[in-house]
Amino acid sequence: MIAATGLSRRFGEQRVLDGLSLAIAPGERVALLGLNGSGKTTLFRCLLGLIPFDGELAIDGLDVERRGRKARARIGYVPQRPPHFPGSLGELVEFFSGLRGLDRDEVAAHMAALDLSLDEHADKPVRALSGGMLQKTLLALATAAHVPLLLLDEPTANLDPRARRDFVRALGAVPEGTTVFLSSHRLEDIQAAADRLLLLHRGRIVFDGSFAELETAAGIAPTLWLELSPAGVDEIAARFEDDARVLRLRRNGTRLGLRAPAADLAALLSELGAADVEILDLRTEAPSLERLLDRYLEAGPP
Amino acid sequence: MTRATRLALFVRRELSDALRARWFLAYSAIFLVGGVVLIGLGARDTILSGYRGYARALVGLVHFAVLFVPLMALFPAAASIAEERENGTLEYLLAQPVTRGEVFLGKWAGVALAVAASISAGYLLAGGLAVLRGVPFRFVAISYGYLLLLALAFVSLGLALSAVSETRARAITIGLLGWLALIALGSLGAVTAFVRWGLAPEILVAWTFVNPAEAFRLGMVGLMDPDLGLLGPVGASLAGRAGTGVVLWGAAASLLVWIAVPLALGATGILRRREGA
Repeated sequence: MIAATGLSRRFGEQRVLDGLSLAIAPGERVALLGLNGSGKTTLFRCLLGLIPFDGELAIDGLDVERRGRKARARIGYVPQRPPHFPGSLGELVEFFSGLRGLDRDEVAAHMAALDLSLDEHADKPVRALSGGMLQKTLLALATAAHVPLLLLDEPTANLDPRARRDFVRALGAVPEGTTVFLSSHRLEDIQAAADRLLLLHRGRIVFDGSFAELETAAGIAPTLWLELSPAGVDEIAARFEDDARVLRLRRNGTRLGLRAPAADLAALLSELGAADVEILDLRTEAPSLERLLDRYLEAGPP
Repeated sequence: MTRATRLALFVRRELSDALRARWFLAYSAIFLVGGVVLIGLGARDTILSGYRGYARALVGLVHFAVLFVPLMALFPAAASIAEERENGTLEYLLAQPVTRGEVFLGKWAGVALAVAASISAGYLLAGGLAVLRGVPFRFVAISYGYLLLLALAFVSLGLALSAVSETRARAITIGLLGWLALIALGSLGAVTAFVRWGLAPEILVAWTFVNPAEAFRLGMVGLMDPDLGLLGPVGASLAGRAGTGVVLWGAAASLLVWIAVPLALGATGILRRREGA
């Protein structure tokens, strides 16, 4: 779906993309990670043909520079900030659906699937609507077009927690088979929408794999916190003390923390369930995305 | 979806934006009031000079227009693209299956139609009244044509500035400076230079054809006074040597060039420019 070879882009002396190569297959759900200024938005702008670049870049086999309009017809785009449209929501939907030759009712149906009624809000000025409603409208416009590729550039960055949760849930309604390429700083977005992560650093992809693989490579893992009886703490601690899967074991009174790779958590839980120990409380503590990236980049990517 | 359909969508959007915006209604009202007042004054003059009283009123409207129309065309045109660039809307728009050329042409056509509509109501009402009172239809029709050409020239200029400007404020500021140079200072400066340095009359004539506002004024004076006596010896000499027809067509051609050249430059500008670059 996306094929980039030797993609480079400079801003003055700064090389933002540096010979980046990338292949995303149809139907994949991929998250693009990176520190601020790592070139995520620049890569998206290249994909949309908004800025010139060196190298080869094709969307669904269409060269982005030579056949930009046709390539964009295959992309549904949700930007970080919704457009400042001067009219009503109905006019926005009519204009942008018109550019893709879509029927207004079809977009309304996709909006309804995201719990958003076009009829109810059609006459409201766009400036009076919440960011969450607008982002969901843009997502509905993108999915109604039945495009094979969705580009989501930090779509929840400016949303409040509730709107963010709604939007992430809405991402679950994206039809199967649609390629999703999402950039985000939020772990919840990434875990909900992607099963492959790409880490962009200094203009190149320095990591390509699953979330669990990134955790392992960064040497950082979630911690499973258990609240147990005093006798139970001793028993479980003794049982997992020398377990190779447990990276770190912490005791704090009757609380026991087991840090283990995300891939091993399910098996550990299952073994805990089988043990003859009463678990009074249980929660997981995941490392923040920032910490994960920092640790990975500090360790020096291979 | 054809290119024409996409262009029609842009035109429709610009028109509905204009209808929503205060400038459109304000300009229409100003033109309507200005036209009716000037025709009222013309009616008074007919007692002394027959239908030419109305013609003079229309020329009065023309002088009012030469100052006002460029501004009313420049403001919405200069704001059009630059404002969307500034608030991030242009990037989302260009992420759709459209070309930059379509966005530029669609916006030009939409702003041009909105500006033309806002001046037409007042001018056509005043012109209709004048025709009813005996002013030749040809005079009213051709002067309306010149007025539209003047408006379109400044729409092109404004949109070209908008296409290459980072912000709305910058596009409008440069547009206003251009307006000041061409209209307020242009004619005054040319006449001052002519008197002070005794420039050849041909230079003044050339400047008149090069400056869109002066070309408009020349065309209108040529309509009213085919001998161009109102422009003094230079005008009389020009009418005598070239003929009034050449003057009228030359003025129209100058305005057409002022429509086409900024349009081409603006389109080139937006094609070369890259968002977020």
